[in-house]
Amino acid sequence: MRQLPLGVRLQDRAVFASFLAGRNLQALEHVRMLAGGAAGGVAWLAGPAGAGKTHLLQAACAAAGATRRAGYFPLAELGPLGSGVLDGLRDIECLCLDDVHAVAGDGAWERALFGLFCAIEERGGRLIVAASAPPALLGWMLPDLASRFAASAIFQLRVLDEAEQREALKLRAQVRGLDLPEETARYLQRRFPRDMRTLYELLDTLDEAAIIAQRRLTVPFIRSVLQE
Amino acid sequence: MEASLWIRCVRALEAELPEQQFNTWVRPLQVLEGAGALKLLAPNRFVVDWVNANLLPRIGELLRRQNTGDAPIITVEVGSRTPAVPANTSPPARPRRAEGLVVGARLNPDFSFGTFVEGKSNQLAKAAALQVAENLGRAYNPLFIYGGVGLGKTHLMHAIAHLTKGRDTEARVAYVHSERFVSDMVRALQHNKMNEFKTAYRSLDALLIDDIQFFAGKERSQEEFFHTFNELLEGQHQVILTCDRYPKEVEGLEERLKSRFGWGLTVAIEPPELETCVAILMTKAQGTGVKLPEEVAFFIAKRIRSNVRELEGALRRVIANSRFTGHAITIEFTKEALKDLLSLQAKLVTIENIQKTVADYYKLRMADLLSKRRSRSVARPRQVAMALAKELTTHSLPEIGDAFGGRDHTTVMHACKRIKALRDSERRMTEDYSNLLRTLAG
Repeated sequence: MRQLPLGVRLQDRAVFASFLAGRNLQALEHVRMLAGGAAGGVAWLAGPAGAGKTHLLQAACAAAGATRRAGYFPLAELGPLGSGVLDGLRDIECLCLDDVHAVAGDGAWERALFGLFCAIEERGGRLIVAASAPPALLGWMLPDLASRFAASAIFQLRVLDEAEQREALKLRAQVRGLDLPEETARYLQRRFPRDMRTLYELLDTLDEAAIIAQRRLTVPFIRSVLQE
Repeated sequence: MEASLWIRCVRALEAELPEQQFNTWVRPLQVLEGAGALKLLAPNRFVVDWVNANLLPRIGELLRRQNTGDAPIITVEVGSRTPAVPANTSPPARPRRAEGLVVGARLNPDFSFGTFVEGKSNQLAKAAALQVAENLGRAYNPLFIYGGVGLGKTHLMHAIAHLTKGRDTEARVAYVHSERFVSDMVRALQHNKMNEFKTAYRSLDALLIDDIQFFAGKERSQEEFFHTFNELLEGQHQVILTCDRYPKEVEGLEERLKSRFGWGLTVAIEPPELETCVAILMTKAQGTGVKLPEEVAFFIAKRIRSNVRELEGALRRVIANSRFTGHAITIEFTKEALKDLLSLQAKLVTIENIQKTVADYYKLRMADLLSKRRSRSVARPRQVAMALAKELTTHSLPEIGDAFGGRDHTTVMHACKRIKALRDSERRMTEDYSNLLRTLAG
């Protein structure tokens, strides 16, 4: 008989503890410092998809949210709603904006971002921004905004190398209470796209299957699950 | 209503909602409790709509489950429980006479005359600012400071405010970004508080308005600002304005405003020359207790051109890296710390990029720039692009000539000389060149 997983299973949370820093240690420490509230400021995280930008933003939100008002706004997704999405966000003490490249070059969005930036800076708040590229490479309309972002604390996130990817997968599994053997991690890496998002999604599927089947994450088991 | 009831509800939502949804729509909410009622405050109407459409029944269910008495009535509206209070340092300027609306942003304590590094490019602006601060309303009124982004206009404004308030703590001096002026006015209109708005702004001893180019195209704001401006000037109260360009060149600004801006003194801040950049870096480093070797300061200053804000950003990065790794600041270390930044600059500054930027700036087509046409409207921008290519890239004169439709290296040499002469004699050319340099080299 298959065991049904609980309706409310433990969500896989992006927290600082499950972020494998690799060469991104300085970015991790800086974001952690901002989220901790020791200092205000603006940080810009640049890097390709799967480099860990969203993870860091979500983790900052979770850490800051325990003691102060925090929020995460993915602008690529919210873009169609218009720049009014940024209204009122100046009061959020730890504000995380994802995919800012999606609105660079749009006058209305840039003016809204500029107003937000000035208000946050003025009150000593925290703004953590992520985008596909550093500010200097985005096609801004407002030089005022471009210059302010360009002078913020910019971190170019590096994608993890193969060994680091396996470590990150194992760390993520461990945070969820799973044991992911090295050979299973290697198996996943060999057969699937090697960006962390895909690999984490696989882990989601496997986690659920393991709970249902009450099995460990061995290579034969995951092979059978993924064939289904 | 116990506050912990909402907290328990939030925890339950956190466990059942996808993380991103929770962080976007639930985490920014604030709660106000009342007798049998629970008011959720959201940052904007989008959050209100989403919560109403997707979450309200579930929140009601969770609250009913956790509350022993009657379930509270839940409403969601736009608002914020805690007004935005500056986290540290001096509070905003508080008008003495005008109770109610308080205008003026927090002043940056680091922006004083003492920390403003003077060079040939900014000494006139600094001298004028100092004069104005010492003789409020009597020296130059209005004082109009213009120049590109990140060159120190805001620094000078804050310095004036600090000095004035240092001498007279009761002085009503307000530093306001023009975006803030506009949003204050919109809010006043929405809440039917225009009289309060007018009184607050018109009863100041000095109004410092930053980046007035943001007034462009906003007619209602310009109208209001026009009257505020007139009243302050008539009462011999000081007005100080900054802009990213010469007032007459701001498109979308009423002529009567442009003309009034020129009544007092108009001064420019130019991008700093190399020696000033080095002095700025050394001063800033010293201010943070770091000993920056002069050769490193020259290394950074040579590579990050034209913009003090970004120059300081680069320095902060080097200092942060040095503190993080415990390494001494050497040229090698600086190269590594700024690796991304410098490679970006190199990527940005190609001959093709220069041609494209110059063509955009002068509203020409790339084909014109590379054509054989010799009319001044095309030839002058072409010469500017050649001079920029010589200054910003490592390409040889023949290579640059080749890239401009197969021209001879002597043509490039002539262009460089011509542009240098024009920069020394024509203000317009000086500004065009600075703007382009700033766009390209950051």
